[in-house]
Amino acid sequence: MAALKGSVLRPFAVLLFVCQIEAQAEDLYAYGEYLSGECLTCHRLDESAGQIPAIFGWPEDKFVEILAMYKHGARENAAMRNVAASLGDEEMAALARYFASQTPKESAQ
Amino acid sequence: MTNRTMTRRDFGSKVITVSAAAAAASLAAPAVLGAAKARVVVIGGGAGGGTVARYVAKGSDDIAVTLINDSPTYSTCFFSNLYLGGFRSFESISHSYDTLAADYGIEVVIDRAAGLDGNGRTVTLANGDTLNYDKAVVAPGIDFKFDAIEGYGPDAVETMPHAWQAGAQAKNLKRQLLDMEDGGTFVICPPPNPFRCPPGPYERISMVAHYFKSYKPHSKIVVLDAKNKFSKQKLFEDGWARHFPDMIEWLPLDITGGVKAVDVASNTIITDDEKFQASVANVVPPQKAGQIAQDAGLADESGWCPIVPETLASLQVPNVHLVGDAIIPGDMPKSGFSANSQAKVCAQAILAELASKQAFKPRFRNTCWSLITTDDSIKVGANYEATEEKIAKIEGFVSQADESDEVRAQTAAEARAWYDAITADIFG
Repeated sequence: MAALKGSVLRPFAVLLFVCQIEAQAEDLYAYGEYLSGECLTCHRLDESAGQIPAIFGWPEDKFVEILAMYKHGARENAAMRNVAASLGDEEMAALARYFASQTPKESAQ
Repeated sequence: MTNRTMTRRDFGSKVITVSAAAAAASLAAPAVLGAAKARVVVIGGGAGGGTVARYVAKGSDDIAVTLINDSPTYSTCFFSNLYLGGFRSFESISHSYDTLAADYGIEVVIDRAAGLDGNGRTVTLANGDTLNYDKAVVAPGIDFKFDAIEGYGPDAVETMPHAWQAGAQAKNLKRQLLDMEDGGTFVICPPPNPFRCPPGPYERISMVAHYFKSYKPHSKIVVLDAKNKFSKQKLFEDGWARHFPDMIEWLPLDITGGVKAVDVASNTIITDDEKFQASVANVVPPQKAGQIAQDAGLADESGWCPIVPETLASLQVPNVHLVGDAIIPGDMPKSGFSANSQAKVCAQAILAELASKQAFKPRFRNTCWSLITTDDSIKVGANYEATEEKIAKIEGFVSQADESDEVRAQTAAEARAWYDAITADIFG
């Protein structure tokens, strides 16, 4: 099993390393698209909202501002504070870029 | 929705044979060669499998995705306690695969996956058909260790339902609760760790208590726990004391010695020194990864499946990934939220390998909401990361005992909104 573990893991270790460098080379939208998967467990990409608001189509600066408020304790929700704690400036900017470009019409795909 | 299954012959001509050297030279061999789509076969259409299928399908047009599930609809375990409590209809927790088939081009096969051959890279269906894959994702959920409690075999589940897989079992337990006379005793036996949905038994106790309080107020709940502590224990116990005083008796392992046997004929549960006669018995046995994971050599001696944390690849069989309750999840709990989170990391790894898509550092999250009674909900959650060794917890949070009624009501509403979002994320 140890040998197999090495063979499975090694190609991905290389792959991830390369791709993180590419991410720093400003593919903000692609990074945001990846990160958005975490948001979409709770936030729908359509009009339906309820207690958890829709977050697409916002101005990027507003999106980042609200995340920062959770991160610094200016907003209450414990789940969102925990989410924001895991996001650095680059992650917030990437998410803002991605969700700003989304419209409910595109939610089916 | 299509019920058509593809046989080896149907698509055998499209599967590229790549030599080991060529495969090693290019991780994206099938896409680069362009002659055929790479093929991903997903076994199990729950929170893990459904999400992997959808994210791989929407991530690349160069991958053909097949999703195998043994039923045309999937009833979620999460929120099935709310069905028992009278908060949700069964229909509201049941989902079809129609959107995954129609909008994402996923081939949905309604059959049981009977076997997986890691060397031949094939999945065999119960109907005998064989499907080839470049990557298989096995998301079979849980199965039960039926040899753990004397007398509690597969035949016992009709009389003493576990209801730890939604669907017929949840309906069975609900019917028994509805049929029970006021003044009866509901005996529930939560399983030992690790098991699906750590707060689940205690949310279930809360939901049954809520139902009893409204309709059968002279009834009692006895909890014969296989553990000495449980998830969100202080919050649940505080809620039980406030909402259901004197209704619930929780007996930890140290007091009873645990459930040793059951007698189905008399609906009796037997511990070291006592026999508990139940009006309704809910026995949740010790658990292990779903049967196909055992049969395909994906599980280790623990009964669960070891994985590479950053890709969810099997440590035991190449070209197979695993997500959800069947895996050894490190610090993550076994939950629908966790499965959905793991599925996105898994989908990214598959897209990177088969379609040369950009891959980023894996991130994992879980949140579990539990309803205690109408408009009183609590939650617990955490962020996780992949280390060499395991999926490791970074930072987390949990509801506080002194929260206002308003906060608890907001948390309950949040849970309802989450259910709508995650099921859209899984089933499209």
